[in-house]
Amino acid sequence: MNWRSLFNRFWAIAGAVSVRTKIMGIVLGLVVLLGLGITLQVRAALTHAMTAQLEEQSGSIGHDLAARSSDLILLNDLTALHRLLEETLENNANVRYAFILDAQGYVVVSTFGDEMPVGLLEIHTAEARDHHDTIVIQTNEGLVWDTAVPILEGWAGVVRVGLSDAAMQRVLATVTTQLLLVTVLVSLIGISAASLLTWVLTRPILDLVRATKQVAVGDFSPRLRRWADDEIGDLADAFNQMTEELGRTDELRREREALRRQLLERVIATQEDERRRIARELHDSTSQTLTSLLVGLRLIETACRDCPARGRVSDLRDLAAQTLEEVHNISMQLRPRVLDDLGLAAALERLVAEWQARQKILADVIIHTGEERLPGEIETALYRIVQETLTNVARHARAKSVSVLVERRGQAVVAVVEDDGVGFDVLAAHANGRLGLLGMRERAELLGGSLTVESAPGRGTSVFVEIPLRPES
Amino acid sequence: MKARTLIICLLYLAACAPLPQVEVSGYVNLEDLQPLQPSTAEVRPLRVAVAAVISPKGTVESYTALLDYLGQRLNRPVQLIQRRTYLEINDLIANGDADLAFVCTSAYIVGSEQFGMELLVAPQVEGETVYYSYLIVPADSPAESMEDLRGKVFAFTDPISLSGRVYPTYLVQQLGETPETFFGRYFFTYSHDQAIYAVAHDLADGAAVDSLVYDYMLARDPSLAERTRIIHRSPPFGIPPVVVGPSADPQLRSDLRTLFLNMHQSPEGRLALEAIGVDRFVVIPDSAYDDARLLVEQVNLPIP
Repeated sequence: MNWRSLFNRFWAIAGAVSVRTKIMGIVLGLVVLLGLGITLQVRAALTHAMTAQLEEQSGSIGHDLAARSSDLILLNDLTALHRLLEETLENNANVRYAFILDAQGYVVVSTFGDEMPVGLLEIHTAEARDHHDTIVIQTNEGLVWDTAVPILEGWAGVVRVGLSDAAMQRVLATVTTQLLLVTVLVSLIGISAASLLTWVLTRPILDLVRATKQVAVGDFSPRLRRWADDEIGDLADAFNQMTEELGRTDELRREREALRRQLLERVIATQEDERRRIARELHDSTSQTLTSLLVGLRLIETACRDCPARGRVSDLRDLAAQTLEEVHNISMQLRPRVLDDLGLAAALERLVAEWQARQKILADVIIHTGEERLPGEIETALYRIVQETLTNVARHARAKSVSVLVERRGQAVVAVVEDDGVGFDVLAAHANGRLGLLGMRERAELLGGSLTVESAPGRGTSVFVEIPLRPES
Repeated sequence: MKARTLIICLLYLAACAPLPQVEVSGYVNLEDLQPLQPSTAEVRPLRVAVAAVISPKGTVESYTALLDYLGQRLNRPVQLIQRRTYLEINDLIANGDADLAFVCTSAYIVGSEQFGMELLVAPQVEGETVYYSYLIVPADSPAESMEDLRGKVFAFTDPISLSGRVYPTYLVQQLGETPETFFGRYFFTYSHDQAIYAVAHDLADGAAVDSLVYDYMLARDPSLAERTRIIHRSPPFGIPPVVVGPSADPQLRSDLRTLFLNMHQSPEGRLALEAIGVDRFVVIPDSAYDDARLLVEQVNLPIP
């Protein structure tokens, strides 16, 4: 229905203004409504009363004239009659005209002199013989109450007197103006009072809005003042309670987060230590032993050129060499010595070269990390991330080429690994909880950095890592 | 729903404060003036003048029946003319502005002498064709004669009235004085019923009035008897006559005389006679007014 949409539109506008404007609008609206209502009512009542009075006055002046003029008419004393009319006009502000007709209806004497407004005689024909008759005429000067009074029951003639409402209209206009002025004055006072009222009401509300915004961005410190013992005061108390609780919860969360981080760091560190220990162990101890074995077998091979067991010794030598290489690889995989000794650049070059040889996928590496070595945990993290990424590429990507880029950018180190493989749905991978990806991200975030994976089916994969050089963890 | 209730409230408000509905009969432009048309009389009416013996309103009440009778018998409209003073009536007759007049005795005396006012008929009241001047005082006044009204307030009627001015002046002159020296204050009421009113309401200490008027008013309002008292009655004078002018149409004069003389013979005529307190009209000779003439001469008032 059209009214509903109109109402909705109205509320959309009216509801959008501030509480202050709403309250002032209501106050103003009420005052204006009251003022206008009273003005109309008073004006109507006044008009009614004054009209009745005017009508009565018309009758009484007419009767007075009739009584005083009867003898004068009978005696045909025109001078006195004229003076009578003039005096009547003078002494009564509302009288606009008066004239006297004889028994035949001819004008004996008139305030219009020798003339008469067209139609004035005919418009009122007094039928009544024993009492007066009043009609209302519309004239160019407003309304006129015209009374006809028979003189000596019409035997001597008729008095006609007309009272205009000009004075009455002036009074009405004055009163109306005054009432409207009072309305305006009270409106102004009302606006001031409403302003004060809204300030008192909205002050605590504005405080609440401000405090809530602060809490929204994580600041749980604001507390509200209880301005009054009303519902808004209760709201302030509830807000304070809630904020305190939130603050406490947030505190707990932070602590837990810190603990978790610590734990993770420790786990990773422990893991790296372990790996280092095992790698070293393998390298120092197991490799040495195997090398010794190789040397011994070589000696046997050299010493026994014609022995029937030469072939077997040769096989054994191959086996030992193979084992040595495997041990070497394991050791490398676990923790490349070169990472600790020469740094990330050298380690990555070695890693990529060996990966390329092993996987038969084209891989190139560009490293611009500068002269200085990066902090140890950053080098480890970056190495592990690149290592994990290459493993994923080998396992899933079916790529033809991979590029690895590590460079220092500003106050951070950036690593990018791109392949031209089949890509994958990153969101799906997250949903499935592929730990490899999560683990890489965790490592980066522990150091205050970030890891982003961009990929889409058919469009290859890019892993983008950024770690700040002054970690803010 | 909210909008609907709002509209209903507004309508209610509007109904509470109605603008007054004034029924307007028409429109006139008060600035649009037109010269007045002079009155056109189709048939010239019979103009009858009545002297101000009683108040104009009283005259209208009393003479309407008689005038209607005349108009009906003559088959022409009759117009009643009144004037404030006796002499004005005389002028009307003299100029031919009135065809017939009921005048006071002194007015006839003056008129007949000055311009030939003619006696047509005279009324007969209680068998007589004479009247008197009554000297009246308030009922509670101790005065017994004109002598006792020395220094008091006196009410005259018309300046040339025989019963209302000439005779009381005669009484004062008999005491060797003039009204100016004798009375404390005097004023003119211009009609006998007003003079009686003045005495009855203690506005004057004494007055002299037409006996016919006094008796007529007493019959109408008996409470007058409680408020006034007659302390002196004059000798008889010729009764106020009905007159015509010297240039009156002889035929009209004759018709009128006949009408008046036969008035008492018809019911409408009798009603008209009763209204003015007259038994019938008769013809009397001019000599009936000689006594009055003598008095007027003797008193010798300046005729205005």
